[in-house]
Amino acid sequence: MTDPAHDPAPTTTPPSAAWVPPMEFAAEAAQPLALAEEQALLSAGALVPAATEPDASEDDPTQPAPTLPAQGRAVRWLVGSVVALLLLGVGLDTADTLARAFAASAALGILVALLLTGAGLALVALLVGEWRALRRLRAIETLRRDAERLTLGQRHGTAGSFAGALTALYTPRPELQGALTRLRDHVTDAHDDGEIVRLLDQELLTPIDRMAHQRVLLAARDTAVTTALSPSALLDLTVVLWRNLKLVREIAALYGAQPGYIGSVRLLRRMLANLAVAGLTESAHHLAVEALGGTIVAAISTRMGQGVINGLLTARVGLTAMHLCRPIAFGPDNRPSLTRIRKEVLTLPQQLL
Amino acid sequence: MRFSDLTGVFDVGTLLETNVRLGVTGLRRAGKTVFVTALVDNLLKAGRLPFLDVVSSGRFQASRLRPQPDPDVPRFDVEGHLSALTGAAPGSEPRWPDTTKGIGQLRVSIRYQPGSALLRTVQPVATLNLDIVDYPGEWLLDLPLLRLSFAEWSGLTLELANQAPRDGLSALWRHWLADIDPAAPAEEMAARQGAALYTDYLHACRRADTLLSLIQPGRFVEPGDMKDAPLLTFCPLSGGPGGRGSLWELMESRYEAYKTNVVRRFFTDHFARLDRQIVLIDVLGALNAGPFGMADMKRALELSLEPFRHGASGWFDWLFGSKIDRVLFAATKADHIAAHQHAHLRGLLDQLVGNARSAIRFDGAAVETMAIAAVKCTESVTTEHEGRQLRCVRGTPVGRDRPTVLFPGEIPDNADAFPPGREHPYNFLPFRPPADLGRDPRGLPHIRLDQALQFLLGDYLE
Repeated sequence: MTDPAHDPAPTTTPPSAAWVPPMEFAAEAAQPLALAEEQALLSAGALVPAATEPDASEDDPTQPAPTLPAQGRAVRWLVGSVVALLLLGVGLDTADTLARAFAASAALGILVALLLTGAGLALVALLVGEWRALRRLRAIETLRRDAERLTLGQRHGTAGSFAGALTALYTPRPELQGALTRLRDHVTDAHDDGEIVRLLDQELLTPIDRMAHQRVLLAARDTAVTTALSPSALLDLTVVLWRNLKLVREIAALYGAQPGYIGSVRLLRRMLANLAVAGLTESAHHLAVEALGGTIVAAISTRMGQGVINGLLTARVGLTAMHLCRPIAFGPDNRPSLTRIRKEVLTLPQQLL
Repeated sequence: MRFSDLTGVFDVGTLLETNVRLGVTGLRRAGKTVFVTALVDNLLKAGRLPFLDVVSSGRFQASRLRPQPDPDVPRFDVEGHLSALTGAAPGSEPRWPDTTKGIGQLRVSIRYQPGSALLRTVQPVATLNLDIVDYPGEWLLDLPLLRLSFAEWSGLTLELANQAPRDGLSALWRHWLADIDPAAPAEEMAARQGAALYTDYLHACRRADTLLSLIQPGRFVEPGDMKDAPLLTFCPLSGGPGGRGSLWELMESRYEAYKTNVVRRFFTDHFARLDRQIVLIDVLGALNAGPFGMADMKRALELSLEPFRHGASGWFDWLFGSKIDRVLFAATKADHIAAHQHAHLRGLLDQLVGNARSAIRFDGAAVETMAIAAVKCTESVTTEHEGRQLRCVRGTPVGRDRPTVLFPGEIPDNADAFPPGREHPYNFLPFRPPADLGRDPRGLPHIRLDQALQFLLGDYLE
């Protein structure tokens, strides 16, 4: 999927091409090689890479949609028809209201018509916003695939568009200006694609990782404390859900995804799937320690124990969000770990008591 | 002893300092001096080391030059070389520093914060004393002599000298050999004449147009402080051992003395104390020299790898054994080719190091290869030639005033570097150091110097 426009010269001489003996040229005839790359880094022009992959469908392409069984299809039809009916009813009602308002007086009619237009425009604006947010989210996924390809490719001079897209994502952020300047300092025309991706990773994304980690810690403490102190289970649930959703949005925004509501729900949904798997695979060690910690604390106070467990759950949601939103996947060395957060959350009971 | 003396001995600061000795070597013209100069300059300024973990994670505090630990080893004159490189002296142009002869040493102390939280509570700031030991690569090639007797060595050397392209260079010396009778009574004049002819032959091997790498014994071309000593007045002989008082016996005793007093002393005084080693290799120079240069370099590299095979091979263990656990083979002057060729250059070096490397991986040190440039003096550009985009380098060649754009030939990927039917496929030119080197506060520009440092010292700086 390399775009030939970004690849001015093939990196290896094709065997068919005529062999060129060593020679010298006039100094004026040459173009700087790193043109595309450096320009992209310096200007940070286009907002996001034009989603280079037209086939990026709504659902994750790596997980083919399972064929629905007959019963599932029936449920879908049921829900669809009910929603359609409701929409139809609301539409008819609105038209009726409009007609009656005009029948009563022209002024009332105009008022209702204006309100209706306002509502319609707001709806459209909302939808457009959501659509954009979704596109941005997908752009991040594309970036991640690009990063992987560049790292494995061992080529030179094709990382320009990737670097440009990634820096463009973070150029408007005042807190990252220092990192961007450092990055421009460090990149030279001698770096190959993999090295540029590594540089972007450590100079640009590591500070963001730190911020995200801080947010996760905060959210874990929040949920732990509220669960420990709240009087009813229902309130617990609401608070935990709301806080988790907020955390996911915060983290996504940090990495430049800024998801809308639909986007966050989608993220949360994918995360739930990930969590279920992560809970089993991440490491038996974590689970054991968590369970142990949980029981000890629960012996002191059931509510406190629940708080700690909820806090850890939130932390894990946050870490999964980091994994999903990062434009360059974590490597084995910089993978965020639950250990630190767990320590922090486990000290909460002492802080509270 | 008074109490104040005791606190001096048990100074907390020095107690917690770590020492590491980094050996820098390479045959002549490989760029040792420039490498050490650029390394020290970049460590002191730390502005261009994004791939050195301690710097990129913000744990690096400062580094400075300190007095070296061994008073009997000459100091590496980093200030002098740096001022030559940057043209700092008034009225002087930037130029490559003079080559150093013999061994040199320099200590750079690096202050940093330890990476792990546990270590930080014990020791908020740690210090690493990096002792850089710079010695000629010819001395490294001497180490394999320790296991060769005079007769064996003579046989191997003569066999090599009879092959192309060495046969032409060694003609005078071999002519002398044919006339002489090793069993005849020893005469000092004959020994001197033979050694002089043999030394001339070795010097001829190192000249730029042939650039052969396998030079033994190394002190003949890099005598250091032993010029004209009887230790260096011998040469390989043909034929068999002679009786007492024969020329053969004289040469043999001098060869053994050379092994004991020069090679073994270098081993115990310097080599055995090294922790890490970087071997600089001028692969581009060998490519310029042609297929013979490459083949000779491969043989020399395989020989120079032998001392790092501690563990299984055994013959090194009886002398205390070396403790080097990481060796980096670096193809220098990577800025003489366009950047997309670096991977191919590294591939070529991998082929050269080849089999020996996997053996070492198995039973000794960790070995890595890289294409680096200690000082980057060119930039990669593209130009059009007969409808094709060619990637070239732009810089000012040594001896010229105006920059030029050079297409030096392309190193093939994973293929024979010298395809049949092509005369002189490569033309790598030496370039002058850029004019504005001294004004950059970030340190000398380089290619992958930081990654080399990360491999060599990364674990010490954690």
